[in-house]
Amino acid sequence: MNVNQIAKELQLTRVTKHEEAEREITGGYTSDLLSNVMGQAKDGMVWVTMQGHHNIAAIGSLIGLAAIIVSGGTNIEEETITRADENELPIFSTDMSSYEVTGKLYALGIVNK
Amino acid sequence: MKTFIGDFHVHTLLSPCAEVEMTPHHIVMRAAQYGISMLAITDHNASGNILAALEAGQKYGVKVLPGMEVECAEEAHIIVIFDTWEQMTGWQKIIDQARSTLPPNNEKKFGKQFVVDADDNFIREEKRMLFGACQLKAADVINQSKSRGALVFAAHVDRPSYSLLGQLGFIGEDLQLDAVEISRQSIGELKEKKLKSLVGNRPYMTNSDGHTILDFIQGPKNILELKEPSIEEIKLALAGKDGRKFTPGYYIKEM
Repeated sequence: MNVNQIAKELQLTRVTKHEEAEREITGGYTSDLLSNVMGQAKDGMVWVTMQGHHNIAAIGSLIGLAAIIVSGGTNIEEETITRADENELPIFSTDMSSYEVTGKLYALGIVNK
Repeated sequence: MKTFIGDFHVHTLLSPCAEVEMTPHHIVMRAAQYGISMLAITDHNASGNILAALEAGQKYGVKVLPGMEVECAEEAHIIVIFDTWEQMTGWQKIIDQARSTLPPNNEKKFGKQFVVDADDNFIREEKRMLFGACQLKAADVINQSKSRGALVFAAHVDRPSYSLLGQLGFIGEDLQLDAVEISRQSIGELKEKKLKSLVGNRPYMTNSDGHTILDFIQGPKNILELKEPSIEEIKLALAGKDGRKFTPGYYIKEM
């Protein structure tokens, strides 16, 4: 399943400029502790977090994530969006909780192998 | 230059997690006894015991600085320290506004929060919850307190919880912190410097983060060489400018 497909299935709001995001998602990670995400999330994953700080864009592009979903209606900093656009990293927002987002991703077959 | 022994992170019994023995008078009296000449009182998101500490500081000849351990929106602890009580009252209004939607304290779960006077007399119990994050982001806490004259540092960045480094993964150059605090559990970091690049090469501080008198006395302090005990001088010392010096990792030897 690719980034566009999960965005459609979960009815996520796109906040970055990217138009097409057809990259295949290889797995997922859910955490708000960014130091932990740096160590645990892997290239190609989708990351679910409630942090809107611009470090999420830096970490996401550093790891090579397929996308970030900011959950719980968290306000995302302008700087986060600017930096994600510079790195062509798709970021989405949703009012759903991290629990719901993760559950739905799992139900769509996005599991870590 | 004069030499000072400074501890810039100490809790009173206003913090729900601190012991009732941590009255401002008791802390300042012990500071004087053990030669701690500069002291910042830093309760969680509150300043209710600072006037009493300032009064006790005058009595015992200890320089007390009004401080606060703020929990920012990212759930990290940031310490702000001012020169004067007036600066702190202005800052407290900002924090109260940013915490106005939080529920009242549950003292069974978090602990009691006492305000006392400089002679250890009970004044009131703080009913608002001092635990929990405010609505201000880290950058807001730092910029807004600095514009009011504060010295600002990230608390216990080496620890797994409530650490700005832990929450954000790295501390970027955009955050205008004067220093980062290394807790006593990771004192080896002062030499090892494993975290230095992740914290943007900011200067290290070591404080007791005392919640009991024993914590306070046994915890690490800093040695400062300053012209006078002020925020501006501490900033110069942290930056190693104009002959001022700041040396973390000092322990009181005679217990």
